[in-house]
Amino acid sequence: MTTATHTATATTPGLEPVKLLLVDDDRDSLLALQAILEPLHQDLLLAESGKDALRLCLDHEIAAILLDVRMPDMDGFETAELIRSRKRSRYTPILFLTAYRSDEQLFRGYDLGAVDFLFKPIVPEILQSKVSVFVELSRSEQILRRQAEEIARTEAQFRAVLEAAPDAMVITSEDGSIELANSRVDMLFGHPRSALIKRNIRSLIPDWEASSQESLASPESRVTAVREDESSFPAQITRSPFATKEGRFITTAIRDATDQVRAEVRVRQINQELERRVTERTAALTYSNEALRQFAWAASHDLQEPIRTILSYSQWFAESNPQIQSQREGQMLEIIQQQASRLFRLLAALQQYIQVAESGESHWTPVDCNAAVEAAASNLSGMIQESGASIDRAPLPSVMGTEVMLVQLFQNLINNSIKYRSPETPRIQICAESNGAGWTFSVRDNGQGIDSKYFGYVFGVFKRLGVGQAAGTGMGLAICKAVVERLGGRIWIESMPQPGTLIRFFLPAEVNP
Amino acid sequence: MNRSVRILLAEDNMADVWLIREALKRQSVECLIDHFLTAEDAIRAIERCGADGAAPPDLILVDYNLPNGDGGDVLAAAASNPHLAAVPRAILSSHLQPHERDRISSLGAARFISKPADLHEFLAAVGATVNELVRPPST
Repeated sequence: MTTATHTATATTPGLEPVKLLLVDDDRDSLLALQAILEPLHQDLLLAESGKDALRLCLDHEIAAILLDVRMPDMDGFETAELIRSRKRSRYTPILFLTAYRSDEQLFRGYDLGAVDFLFKPIVPEILQSKVSVFVELSRSEQILRRQAEEIARTEAQFRAVLEAAPDAMVITSEDGSIELANSRVDMLFGHPRSALIKRNIRSLIPDWEASSQESLASPESRVTAVREDESSFPAQITRSPFATKEGRFITTAIRDATDQVRAEVRVRQINQELERRVTERTAALTYSNEALRQFAWAASHDLQEPIRTILSYSQWFAESNPQIQSQREGQMLEIIQQQASRLFRLLAALQQYIQVAESGESHWTPVDCNAAVEAAASNLSGMIQESGASIDRAPLPSVMGTEVMLVQLFQNLINNSIKYRSPETPRIQICAESNGAGWTFSVRDNGQGIDSKYFGYVFGVFKRLGVGQAAGTGMGLAICKAVVERLGGRIWIESMPQPGTLIRFFLPAEVNP
Repeated sequence: MNRSVRILLAEDNMADVWLIREALKRQSVECLIDHFLTAEDAIRAIERCGADGAAPPDLILVDYNLPNGDGGDVLAAAASNPHLAAVPRAILSSHLQPHERDRISSLGAARFISKPADLHEFLAAVGATVNELVRPPST
């Protein structure tokens, strides 16, 4: 008969109770042993014969066996011999229980691998303490086994991670001696991995250095790596040190950077090509700008000369031949004079425009806008008197520029206000308000006004509105825009509820102290 | 006026030479014009002035835009000839850039005459300058 007594939970958390096998043919003795060992809170398996004991040994992992020597059929020694002959129980500690202190028994017992003898009558405290030792031994073994399993599992994980890494990974000691490498190292370098262990990583990467930082991964660096066949290739490496009880180790991740280097070279080539093209284009633009400037100068200056002569001579011709005035030829001559005169004014305006665009900042000084408006009004005095125009000027600031430019600006604006007047007497209001880093000027009139769809158009070179305005060159506002923009500002037209035109422009405040 | 006014004129545009003659005629200025078409020719003539004992001109009138040099070069030649120190000089031009204007004043041009497009303005401008700069010798 066999019974198993499952005692209460184990005393040590996380550890299962161990199994103890008690073997005695005398049921009372067996129960007595059970009673003595109960307080140890382990699994007690009871066997009343050697045969039962052997069967239990087959089915269970047993921490220790208490075996009665004197039993019918198969005695303790025979049982022990058979227990020992089985692989599973070859090293299971056996304590023999006997009533006789005989040397012969002792020798035989120890010979069979007994670890101890206990003499009947059993002293409970001695039995408990001896069995406790075996329980502890078994438990220590259990712990060790678990730790070994844990280590094996962690190492397997580690190797799996190492193998799964996309880069070749080499773990070295601080001096570069290789401890571990993944299979990508074989592929990348052509060395069998096993041949690399304990070699120095510098045989793969001559410029390898231990990372200077304590724990942080060092930034990527570009190095030259050498294959087994001594060919070399560019590699990108990242080193990250880690500390263990055995010292500091360094994980070096190595990636073939051949494609990257090729791409970088290509990018550099493309950049150089772009730069070259930009330079060429800039030179071409500079050249065409200069050509344009020369053309504009010629157009405005050299072309003006012959026209001036045509004007003078057509006038001279008309005066020398007063009889043709009433004839068809007289009208034709007048048309020649009108058109030549118009061309002359257009070229003069173009010349002004070019002068503005070429005005150098070095000649700029603070210019009093009050004086500039007065000078402009003085230049237009004939027109102002004739039209009865009034100019209402609020106090204006000084701005950086040249007097010529600012007089021209105000003169063109006042001129437009009078030229494009409504049937009402022209009224022009000029004021300025401080606005951040400069001044916003307003020139407001009660003239014909400008359709808002032409607000941008009218600032273009040679852009005019309407027909029959032979007096207009189409350059007035273009010159205003050129002046304002040359002085670092901007000009625009705003809508007004009442009829008329409101032109505003922003100019930076004078910077001189 | 008991003798002609002598004018050294450097002007490449014959149309303007005619206009200048007309202006002088309308001012009733009896004049003798030494006319040169290029800056080079005018300079050569200016360098000879006084060397052969010939009397210097009463006025040097120079167009700024000339072939083979420019009006500034002609003025510079006049300024470096001591025989011409007392001779007034005037420059004619339809337009001058600021740096050109500065150069001309530094070379001692007494007057800058713009060439207006209007016939009467042109004649008046030239006539007034000649009248002012060339004091007719007392009778």
